[in-house]
Amino acid sequence: MSALPPPVLAHLQHTVLARLHPTVFSYAADGRFLGCSGEPAAFGLDADPSGSADLLRDLFIGMDEEAACELPFIVLPGGRSTHLHRLRDGEGFHILLLDAGDEHARQQAQQQIANEETLAGQEKSKAIGLLKRIRSDLESERSELEEANALKSALISTLSHEFRTPLTSVFGYLHLLERVIGRDPNAVQALRAIQRNATYLFTLAENLLEYGRGDSGTALLHPDEIDLLALARDVEAMIRPLADDKRLELVFDIRVREEDRPVYDELRVRQILVNLLSNAARYTVAGRIGVGLAFADGQLAIEVADTGPGIPPEYRERIFEPFNRGGPGGRKGAGLGLSIVRRLVQQMGGQITLDSAPGQGSRFRVELPQQVRTGGADLVADAPDRTELWTRARSAIVVDDDPDVAHLLESLLLDLGFKVEVHPNAADGEAAAARERPDLLLVDVHLSGSSGNALVFRLRAQGYRGAIVTVSANASREAQDAALKAGASAFLTKPIELSRFILTIQRALQRGG
Amino acid sequence: MIRATARKICMLGDFGVGKTSLVARYVHGTFSEKYLTTVGVKVDTCQVARPDGTDCKLVVWDMAGRNGVDALAASYLRGASGLLMVADGTRAATLRTALDLLMQARAVVPDAAAVLMLNKLDLIEHWEIEPLTVAELRNSLPVFETSALSGDGVVRAFAALTAKLPA
Repeated sequence: MSALPPPVLAHLQHTVLARLHPTVFSYAADGRFLGCSGEPAAFGLDADPSGSADLLRDLFIGMDEEAACELPFIVLPGGRSTHLHRLRDGEGFHILLLDAGDEHARQQAQQQIANEETLAGQEKSKAIGLLKRIRSDLESERSELEEANALKSALISTLSHEFRTPLTSVFGYLHLLERVIGRDPNAVQALRAIQRNATYLFTLAENLLEYGRGDSGTALLHPDEIDLLALARDVEAMIRPLADDKRLELVFDIRVREEDRPVYDELRVRQILVNLLSNAARYTVAGRIGVGLAFADGQLAIEVADTGPGIPPEYRERIFEPFNRGGPGGRKGAGLGLSIVRRLVQQMGGQITLDSAPGQGSRFRVELPQQVRTGGADLVADAPDRTELWTRARSAIVVDDDPDVAHLLESLLLDLGFKVEVHPNAADGEAAAARERPDLLLVDVHLSGSSGNALVFRLRAQGYRGAIVTVSANASREAQDAALKAGASAFLTKPIELSRFILTIQRALQRGG
Repeated sequence: MIRATARKICMLGDFGVGKTSLVARYVHGTFSEKYLTTVGVKVDTCQVARPDGTDCKLVVWDMAGRNGVDALAASYLRGASGLLMVADGTRAATLRTALDLLMQARAVVPDAAAVLMLNKLDLIEHWEIEPLTVAELRNSLPVFETSALSGDGVVRAFAALTAKLPA
């Protein structure tokens, strides 16, 4: 290859020199600095090159002294990026510095972007990981809450059962005693006291259960025709002793026509009345309590007004919160009453208003639209002729391990004309039902050693298509759903009330399996 | 034969762990929040006192962040008496990188002293490296939790490495 033309060579020489600023530091064999040529200042090195000579020499510590070697992209303390070359020259050596600033800047810009992208990616992954963890934590918390809620429901179920069963018995025997007790005034007074307190206890228990059910709307309403006058009399009988003790005037103003048979859940209306009146009696020191009950145009209006201390505006919302006792002076009762009242009113699609001022008493007004009967009356209206139903359905099996309840159910069914078999346990009941294929099967949910729902499920799985009514003291929606899901035609809660019993049997026979 | 008048120490670690910031803190007492990636090597020098009372000149090679020792890195490592391994406490993966790099560097400079700096102590609430892991590591090599931002642990880490350098 021929040599480059002199002008080209000259141009290249000029360009390379201008861009690379070649600078040479020369050393003796023992590393002693001999001299410098070129542009040390272009590399940020001292004006006196001997000051930088040691640094440059030390950069090659440990490297093969016999061979030429190169260190690319060395940023010197002065900040300039340099390609360093060590070149042998006889016994001594030179260190050649070539400016790498431009190339360094280009590479740094590229690397910077790449590194920042990677770091951003890592941060993103970390953030996603964190979000996943948070989600997982939330799910686990939700699961714990659901567990706690399930536990609460189970507890309420148990309480419901535990409260209702003995209270049903107390009321039953009170009615019995009422008939046999005669006219002994002391005994009658004692009986009334027991009745009042049992009712109060029942209301308290119902309030607690109602509160425990939470806002999930699981409260079961059983609207039916109610006798408002009788209901008012009952409530008055319960509250009057409280009013009399404080010499309060208790006045009832009831406006219901004889022919009206409003449809409401009597227990819930009673709960509303008892709670409002109990509060009025508790907080009113002197004066009167007025109760208004009016049913007109499909709407029931309940009004309870007292001459108590009144409720300051800042407490008017708070008194409807659970465990709140009505304002500055409130220290009586469990503090659940008004919260239960509001919840029940809402569940029935009604509204409650409060008109009150400190020192001027309080006036609660509840308006409830008439309810629709659940199944009962409609069912009867649409049902085939009642007699025909009973005639067609002649056989029944009762499976209940409580002999008293089993006997009660047997008696009721016998009265209705059924031929009845009673079995105290699930195995016998199941065998009998599979064998006899009765028209009606009544099963208690809580059988000793087995679940009534399991029995129902197995029978349905064997092809039994007769009517099944599951009986339980647990009135929760969950219990009802579980029974129906297992295959029951209808669900009946204790305590058993005759008219509801008949309607439920009818409904079950209509539906069958 | 050239008489070595200084000790060469190399800083190794993944990118973004704070190697350049640690040198800036140690050598110049400064800190910058801005992240600027290193290309090649940044060299700096400083004079340090050794435990025996003598002074020692350190030539600190702040090597570009990497996750392996390639031929170029190996050429940079040659002659190093000490290795400052650096990891970022907020990124557990950088600790694995630092330990990998240490193993690879030892193939080039088997006799070099080494210490590990776990940097970004000022962000301790975001650390991914567990205290138990650090305790385990201390059985193998000196470990220092450091912050280039506050300076915590930086001098101690350099001093520990200096003390381990051959006389």
